[in-house]
Amino acid sequence: MAQTQTKTKTKTIKKASTVDDDKVSTGIAGFDEITRGGLPRGRVSVVLGGPGTGKTIFGLQTLVAGARSGSRGIYVAFEESPEKVRANAARFDWELSSAQGKRGIEIFDAQLSRTVLQGGEFDLVGLLAMLGTRAKKLGADRIVFDGIDMLLVHLGDPLLVRREMFRLRDWIHETGLTGIITAKPTKRDDGRGSPDHADIEFMADCVVSLDHFLSAGTAVRMLRVSKYRGDAHSASEHPFTISRTGIHLTDPSALEISHSVSKTKISSGIKRLDAMLGGGYFRSSSILISGAPGTAKTSMAVSFAHAACLRKEPTLLVSFDEAPGQIVRNMASIGFRLAPHVKSGMLKIISLRSHAGRPEAHVARVRSILDEHRTKNLIIDPISGLAQMHDELLGGEAALQLLDAAKSLLITVLSTSLLPDVATLGEQAPISISNIADTWVHLAYASRGGERNRSLSVIKSRGTSHSNQVREFLLSDHGVEITDTYAASGEVYMGTLRWDKEVDDRHQRDATRRSAEHQEKNAERALAMTEARLAALRVEQALREADLDRLKTERTADAELVVDEEREREVRRGTLEPGILPSRRGNGVAHR
Amino acid sequence: MSRGGLDPKAIRERTVLRLYVAGPAPNSQLARAHLKAFLGEHADRPVELEIIDVLANPERGLKDGILVTPTLVRLRPAPQQQVVGNLRNRAALAAGIGFPVIRAHHEK
Repeated sequence: MAQTQTKTKTKTIKKASTVDDDKVSTGIAGFDEITRGGLPRGRVSVVLGGPGTGKTIFGLQTLVAGARSGSRGIYVAFEESPEKVRANAARFDWELSSAQGKRGIEIFDAQLSRTVLQGGEFDLVGLLAMLGTRAKKLGADRIVFDGIDMLLVHLGDPLLVRREMFRLRDWIHETGLTGIITAKPTKRDDGRGSPDHADIEFMADCVVSLDHFLSAGTAVRMLRVSKYRGDAHSASEHPFTISRTGIHLTDPSALEISHSVSKTKISSGIKRLDAMLGGGYFRSSSILISGAPGTAKTSMAVSFAHAACLRKEPTLLVSFDEAPGQIVRNMASIGFRLAPHVKSGMLKIISLRSHAGRPEAHVARVRSILDEHRTKNLIIDPISGLAQMHDELLGGEAALQLLDAAKSLLITVLSTSLLPDVATLGEQAPISISNIADTWVHLAYASRGGERNRSLSVIKSRGTSHSNQVREFLLSDHGVEITDTYAASGEVYMGTLRWDKEVDDRHQRDATRRSAEHQEKNAERALAMTEARLAALRVEQALREADLDRLKTERTADAELVVDEEREREVRRGTLEPGILPSRRGNGVAHR
Repeated sequence: MSRGGLDPKAIRERTVLRLYVAGPAPNSQLARAHLKAFLGEHADRPVELEIIDVLANPERGLKDGILVTPTLVRLRPAPQQQVVGNLRNRAALAAGIGFPVIRAHHEK
């Protein structure tokens, strides 16, 4: 991817020839990317397609791209006059009639006159010799043979047609010109003029098939590179459109997204989902919410719309087959009050009939509203409302055009799609899904334990760290809520199972709590006992102190008694003056 | 042409032919041979034939607006007429030049 981007950048600045020496840029947005540089240089590329599929435009556009980068080319017109080719080219912004255009592209009239008589077999030997001379003189490096079957049909023999096609191929290889040969796909049995398909596949170095068909009254164009000798290429079908700049592939996988990429995150309206997405959706990105019917895709979408309105951002909700009033009423039941936002004009709801009118008409209507409403957020519910084909879940070319237009206006687009569950889809979603969605949230019913619960998972979120967990989400009377995930040993628990799990856990917690309480009580009791013991000891201590005091007092009293007795004795011996006590010895000494 | 057929002068008018060939390519060789044989059958008619090899002189072919080889162009009498191919088809050759088919026994 990074490689492609570098290439594209170089291309816009420098000549195509400097990008990749063995590739020739076609100037077709997206084509050079899917072929990693364009058509094989000096080789034969065959552009196959029925009338009106854009073969001529493909060829001319490649010459125009060359002329713009200073190369020259020859356009050999077998089917139309050079005047007519120029007139057709004038419908595009190619400036083919400018001096540069005239110098860069020579249109060679190769129409066989209608009055010509068929005198036998002929060949391209002379024509190729003349064209070789011309190419050398002009310094051309590319040549387009448009509608050569118109000439070869005169040969009337498939074998001869084949011989001339191989002659042409060999000539291109010899001259080193990059050749484009347009051809109509033919059935094996009617290959009168047109080269047989198998031969073309065999002789060409690169085969590009263009298809143009009607589906439900709408034109669908598809391009496919069915062969690219010796090179990796995307072989899938790519939708394309033809505008004033020419052919461009509308499949964003093939295009370098030139829209400025926003780093700002905006809320999905669901807190938990914002957390899962690392802050929310990127502003100006595209978000796809897929899921089976009834998985609350609309509720998710409205949740986003509601949050956007609260941020005072003009939001447009395009709903298919559901009237605005119906949406407002239904959403009120899960707590989204949309009516005030509708009244203030912040939220605009338009309802379209999916099977009335062409998708292009719907797109045109929405586009005109985008400008006038200054829409910041666009919600398409569901995007299959813009489908051309009944089995198209992602909308067709029209949807891609709208997404592209919205992106260039920096509008955040949230679309919903009725996709089967991701398990059957696998992660191998059709290329277009993952490419129209920067963020893809899938909603599903997970049935386990005899219950169907809604689950949500973020399948991808470009440029964001996101939670890979599958979550359960609930619709409550205050909107959409995502519950805590109960993930244990890789299992996600939902509904009753989750509840059971919770109850189990609660029991376990209770048991733990009870045992803790028990221990606490024991400890308390132990403490109380200790305290009681302490109290008893204190009483004992007090008793013993009291005892001690009593003993001391008694002893002093005894001593005094002894002294008195001694004094009595001394007094009686006549050695002491009466009234002088030996306990007051100091006085007695002083007296002595 | 029908008028020319009726006018003796016109019948005798010089027929100017150009045969554009691509050197040794088989169809070009055949065209030369078939044309020479055909003209040999009409030796009494004044014919001016120029054979141009576009391999040797591609500019000439480009200038004259030649597309495939071989191509026989009858410049005169007017209108100009072209016959493409190796001229194996004598009916087409005769019609292109404006001469009648004299010996058509090996060509239906």
